Amino acid sequence: MRKRRILLVDDEVAITRALAIYLAEQGECEVRIENEGSRAVAAALDFKPDLILLDIVMPDADGGAVAAQMKADPVLRRVPIVFLTALVSRQETRSASKTIGGFPFLAKPVDPDTVLEYIDRHVVV
Amino acid sequence: MIRAFPIRLVWLPAVQVPLRALALSLVVLAVAIGAAMVSPEALLDQEVLASGLALIPALLLAHYRGWTIISSLLAAGLVALTLLDLTPWLFGPLFLGVSPTLFIVAPYIAIVLSAGWFGEVRQYRAELKATQLQLIQSEKLDSIGRMAAGIAHEVKNPLMMILTGTKVLSKRLAGADESTRQILQDMIDAVGRADRIIGGLLSYSRDRGVDLAPTDLNATVEESLMLITHELNKVRIAVVADLHPSVPPLQLDAFKMQQVFINVLTNAIHAVGRDGEIRITTSVDTRPDQTAGGHQRSGSATGTRVAVVSIDDSGPGIPTEHLNKLFDPFFTTKPVGLGTGLGLPVCRQIVEMHGGTIDIGNRDGGGARVTITLKLE
Repeated sequence: MRKRRILLVDDEVAITRALAIYLAEQGECEVRIENEGSRAVAAALDFKPDLILLDIVMPDADGGAVAAQMKADPVLRRVPIVFLTALVSRQETRSASKTIGGFPFLAKPVDPDTVLEYIDRHVVV
Repeated sequence: MIRAFPIRLVWLPAVQVPLRALALSLVVLAVAIGAAMVSPEALLDQEVLASGLALIPALLLAHYRGWTIISSLLAAGLVALTLLDLTPWLFGPLFLGVSPTLFIVAPYIAIVLSAGWFGEVRQYRAELKATQLQLIQSEKLDSIGRMAAGIAHEVKNPLMMILTGTKVLSKRLAGADESTRQILQDMIDAVGRADRIIGGLLSYSRDRGVDLAPTDLNATVEESLMLITHELNKVRIAVVADLHPSVPPLQLDAFKMQQVFINVLTNAIHAVGRDGEIRITTSVDTRPDQTAGGHQRSGSATGTRVAVVSIDDSGPGIPTEHLNKLFDPFFTTKPVGLGTGLGLPVCRQIVEMHGGTIDIGNRDGGGARVTITLKLE
C-alpha cells in the first residue's frame, strides 16, 4: 500500500518542518512542503497529493485564491483541501457545518493528532 | 543653626468652609449682642437677630448632613444677618415690610426643598458615574478585543509551531523518564491555555452580529450536550435533560447558542466536580417582570412569551459576594489555567444579541441555576 501524499502549504517554515515530521513518523504519510503560496498550484500538479493542507494568510498569496485556482484545475479539483488557519478559534471548528469559502478548516494551533485523524477520515489509498 | 519653630495652625485647612463661616458668624453675632448690651440702641431689630439665631441650628443640620452648598449659603446668610444687625442704617431698608417669621421659617423650607433636590442630583450623579465607568470598561474591552484580533494570527502561528514541535519530541522521547514526559505534557497544556485565552478574546471581539435562522432549541441543547459527553463521562456526572416538545422553532444563531450552552455546562461540570448531577430543562413561559432576589440579571425582555432554558447543577452554589461579578470580564474563581474569565461575558453578549437574558443565581435546595430566556416572537 502506498503512503498517503500530503501537500503542506504554509509560509511558516517551523510549522511545516515539525508537522511534516509528525505526519511522516506517526501517520506514515509522504509529505511535501511548500512555503511559498504562489508556488502551491505548481507543487500540487507536480506532487499529486491525496490531500492539501493550506494556510490562508501568506505573504505572497491568498490561500483562498490558491484554493480557487486548484478547484478550477481539471487535475487538482478532486483533491480535498483543508485550510489550516489562525484566523478562527478552535471553538469555531466544533460545528461541523462551518466552512471557509466552502472548504473545511482546522484552527491553529491544531493538535497534529487532529490533523492525522482528519487525514485518516478523508484519505483512502 | 537656627531651629525652625514648629508651630503650624494645622487645624485650619482641615475645617470645612461652612464651619469657619459659622464660627465667623458667631463671633460677629457676639459682637452685635455685646454692642447691644453696651448701647441698647445698636440692637435695632430683635426680629432680625432672632432669625439669625434660628439659622444656626439649620446651618448645623445642613453641615452635619453633608449638604455643603446649603450650609455654605446659610452661613453666608448668617453673616449677612449679623452685619444687618450691626449696620441697620445700611441694610435695614431692604427688609422693611418682610415678616420676621419668614426669616425664621425660610431657611428650614429651603433645606427641606433643597434636600430633596440635592438628593436627586446626587442620584443622577451616581448613575452618571456608573454609566461612565461602564463606558470606560466597555471601551477598554473593545480595544483589548481589537488588539487580540490583530495579534491572534501572529500568536497562533508560533503556538502551532510549539505544539507541533512538542508533539514530535513527545513521540520521540516516549521512553524518556517521567519528569521529561511531564515537562513536555505541561508545554502542550500551556499551548492549550494560551489558545483558550486568545480564543476567548477573539469571541469577545468578533462581529457583534448573529446569523439568525429558525432553529430547534431542543436540538441545539442536545447537540451541545453531545459535544461535552466525553467531559461528563470522565467525571461521572449524570445529565437529566427535560426538553419540552412544545418549544417552537426560534430565530437563533445555532452555533453561537451552542457556544453558550457548552460554556454554561462546562462551568456546571467544574462546579459539580465528581458524581453529581446536571439538570437541563427547556420550557415556554411568559417572562415575569422581576427576577427573584439575589439573582443577577442582564438585558431586558419583559412581558413577552419566551423560551426558557434552565441549567441546574448539584454543586456548592455561588458565594453571594461573587454573584454580581459573574459577568465581569476576566473574573474567574477557577484555578489558573482552567478559566479565562471571559466565558460568561461572551455568553451574555451572545444571548443579548438574540434579545434574550441570562440570569445566574443559587437554588433554594443548593447548587446554582443558570436561566437563559429567549424571546419567541
